Amino acid sequence: MSAEGATPLLELVGIRAGYGTIDVLHGVDLRVMPGTVYALLGPNGAGKTTTLGVASGQIQPHAGSVLLDGHEVNGVSPDRLARAGVCLIPEGRGIFPNLTVAENLRMSTYAGVSYKQVQERAFAQFPRLQERRTQMAGTLSGGEQQMLAMSRALSTDPAILMLDELSMGLAPIIVEELYEQVATLAEAGLSILIVEQFAQAVLGVANEAAIMLHGRIQRTGPPEEIAEELTAAYLGMS
Amino acid sequence: MIFGVRHSVAVAAALGTLAAVIIAVLTWKGAPVTSETFLVTTYIGLFLGALWAMYATGLVVVYTTTGVFNFAQGAIGVFAAFLYWELHVNRDWHSILALFVVVGLFAPALGVVLDILIMRRLRTASLVVQLMVTVAIMVLLLSVVGDIWEADTPRRVPYLFGINNGIDLGPSQLPWHRLIVFVVAIAIAVSMRFLLRRTRIGTAMRAVVDNRELAALNGARPNVVSSTSWALGSMMGALGGILIAPELGLDPATLNNVVIIAFAAAAFGALRNLPLAVVGAMLIGLLRAHTGAWLDFGPDFRFAHLSIAPLLLLFVVIALPQARLEVGRLAHHLRRHERYTKWWEGLLGCGVVILLAAAFSGGWLDFGGWDPGAWGSRELNSANEAMALALIGLSLVPLIGWAGQINFAPLAFAGFGAFVYLKLAGDTGNGYWILMVGLLCAPLGAIVALPAARLRGLYLALMTMAFAQAMSLIFFPHPWVMPIIGTGRQFPHIDLFGITFDDRRGFFMLMVSVFAIFVYALVLLRRSRYGRRWMAINDSQAAAATLGVPVVWTKVVVYAVSASMAGIAGVFWATVSGNVDSVQGFDLLLGFNIVLLVAAAGVSIPMAGIFLIFIPLFKGFGLRLEDAGNVDFLVTLLDIMTTYGPGLMVLGMVFNPRGAIFEMGRGFSPILPWRSDARAEIAAENAQKREPEIGELGLERPFTPEEVIAIDRRLEILDDVVPKEGYGTSRS
Repeated sequence: MSAEGATPLLELVGIRAGYGTIDVLHGVDLRVMPGTVYALLGPNGAGKTTTLGVASGQIQPHAGSVLLDGHEVNGVSPDRLARAGVCLIPEGRGIFPNLTVAENLRMSTYAGVSYKQVQERAFAQFPRLQERRTQMAGTLSGGEQQMLAMSRALSTDPAILMLDELSMGLAPIIVEELYEQVATLAEAGLSILIVEQFAQAVLGVANEAAIMLHGRIQRTGPPEEIAEELTAAYLGMS
Repeated sequence: MIFGVRHSVAVAAALGTLAAVIIAVLTWKGAPVTSETFLVTTYIGLFLGALWAMYATGLVVVYTTTGVFNFAQGAIGVFAAFLYWELHVNRDWHSILALFVVVGLFAPALGVVLDILIMRRLRTASLVVQLMVTVAIMVLLLSVVGDIWEADTPRRVPYLFGINNGIDLGPSQLPWHRLIVFVVAIAIAVSMRFLLRRTRIGTAMRAVVDNRELAALNGARPNVVSSTSWALGSMMGALGGILIAPELGLDPATLNNVVIIAFAAAAFGALRNLPLAVVGAMLIGLLRAHTGAWLDFGPDFRFAHLSIAPLLLLFVVIALPQARLEVGRLAHHLRRHERYTKWWEGLLGCGVVILLAAAFSGGWLDFGGWDPGAWGSRELNSANEAMALALIGLSLVPLIGWAGQINFAPLAFAGFGAFVYLKLAGDTGNGYWILMVGLLCAPLGAIVALPAARLRGLYLALMTMAFAQAMSLIFFPHPWVMPIIGTGRQFPHIDLFGITFDDRRGFFMLMVSVFAIFVYALVLLRRSRYGRRWMAINDSQAAAATLGVPVVWTKVVVYAVSASMAGIAGVFWATVSGNVDSVQGFDLLLGFNIVLLVAAAGVSIPMAGIFLIFIPLFKGFGLRLEDAGNVDFLVTLLDIMTTYGPGLMVLGMVFNPRGAIFEMGRGFSPILPWRSDARAEIAAENAQKREPEIGELGLERPFTPEEVIAIDRRLEILDDVVPKEGYGTSRS
């Protein structure tokens, strides 16, 4: 938790957004303070991915504002935000399946870092990627694909990292390995916004957590407390 | 993948080589093979290969970086060649300046404009729409060229540095132009390979086609990247056109046909492998040159050496595994509102068609005091021609519209029909044989359907195109097939029900009646089990198979039906054009235009086929107006409509993939008194457009717990989320 009064790195104020005429988010307020890890939890269809879409510029909100380090960035294109240091690792495998591993890494350099740095850091963290650098990314295993996706976060020194369902469809041991990387990044002071359906994975790393339901943030608080409530909500206990 | 070649490919390659050796032995000309003649032939082959490699490189680059196979690549080259002629020859600009303006400024601008206006919107479109739109661009570009640079002036594009300057090669001379072409083609291929594999922008170009959103999340500008792809592809097309024009002459159709060879070369590289595509182009060039020099196919197969490219294309497309698995491409175009046309509606429609045709051609209409009068022979000629093409077009409705099987070979089927008719009925013109033609054409359709059974989309389009061209180069010119070519002999008048249709009006009405019968048959077919199956394999072959639809058989049937219809139409077509010569010509443009017309009409509804009748009607009517002489702007309008109409209508599919006629029909059908369902649909859609009443949905106001429980019961959610107090309000 950081001190009151500091400018949040990412702030969403009264965001309403959705697809076509249907709103998915009905007034979302969210602040990620510098150097903190914020976990956004909630069931399927709650609007978590849409929230990340708005924060990364992929979806334009109908109302409300998106602030990056205090500056309003509504209407800024996702590629500009990406070059400005917003790093979203999207749900599913955030890779280009018909490019090789090395070419996938090369795409990370659009964030303004050298190819050399990207390769060094990615291979240092995930030596398995180095073995497969000339292989088509689409032929990697699920875990390796997610590592490749994560290596963009590791190598580009983003200002804020957003992770969408990092654990989805992966073996628990790989999830653990990936979240170890996230923890390392968090220790180094990176601000991170994590979206997960299941709280267990993120409890160790998050400083702050929130429950999202039906397009609204229902509660925010310390991760342990929120996790308990989330379990209750999933199990239908009140 | 070179060493991972599948067995079937290896076997096919071996058989192909064997066949080539046998053909070579049988047709050996006996010309002496010396090192000199061999060398000269080889250099001609390499030069030809280099030219085609340039086109093929453009195709492959655009395909790998945008996912769109650009049928208009050749047409861009045609346009550029004419523009270059205009600047360099007509306006006396220096060749380098003209080259720079055309290739360096005009071509990239054209590519960027195409991307922004059209291609960008095609990303989520179905493959049929993507294909049709690039074909439409091709046809439109060629029409524009034809309008700006009319065909009556002879034009030549000079060789760079003249034909007489160059390197002396002993027996002959290698002009600078050809050397430059060779060097430039190789340089372009190498640099494109380098660009795509070794640079960041090239990586981004390929990344954008993989996952556009992710490319943006990486920080690449997807729109800039794809515009770059189109600009580059367009530049290569332009350069190819300008460099090849001195060899082939400035004729739009000839220049455009070059792309078929480029298609074959690109297919050789599985459409994505640049070095293999270049090898393919060189291979075709060498084969072309050496067969021309050493083999003599005799007068019966005088075009055989030209058929190397289409045959290679046919062979490669059938042998190659399909390169790229389309994932996540299902989409937005699947939503359908369709109701079956009722049998009596079909009858009514067909009656209206016959009545309209009679009224137009008979001059029964009175336009506010101006009576166009009955059509004379000029109008009837033109209308008859268009009518025959409309008949051929109708044969594509079940094939393309319903089963989603792209077919660029309707003219080959039609020509086959004409051939069968000529063999059966001979000089008698006995019309009853037409039914037999229908039966005998069905097997041809089934034969084409067999390779088609495993091909989809683009590969299918290329296969049918290659098939059509191979037919027109090998089959139709054979004297046994069309024995009277060049003698000016006429096709006999059709003799049916004791009437000889020797007058044009009677023949027109005969064709209109056949058209009406075809439309009605389609209406009934659509209502049948086969109609449903065809729609099903179009939507999803896998899903249809799991439901027990025999996919291969279903495809065979639809091809057979289409080939029968096209064959019957071919009899009329041949009779209209009278001269047997016209049957053998596979006119790429004409074939494309028929397909475009059908696509534009919105092929998926059988009644939309009726739209095709308006083309002959407009043709005749337009000529009538011209004779009347006082409504110039209408004549011009009709002229533009018939020249540019199909292309423009298909471009409209970018915004409205179901085709223009579909939308017109939706507007029109509520007027019909018995179509209360159409009125209800429009009303329902308007209601949907209104803002949803948010308050009622519980989004503005929190649900009460009772309401939530009621909703959960209704939705049969068992482990429901029981809300805590304050549920539905934000408390963050």
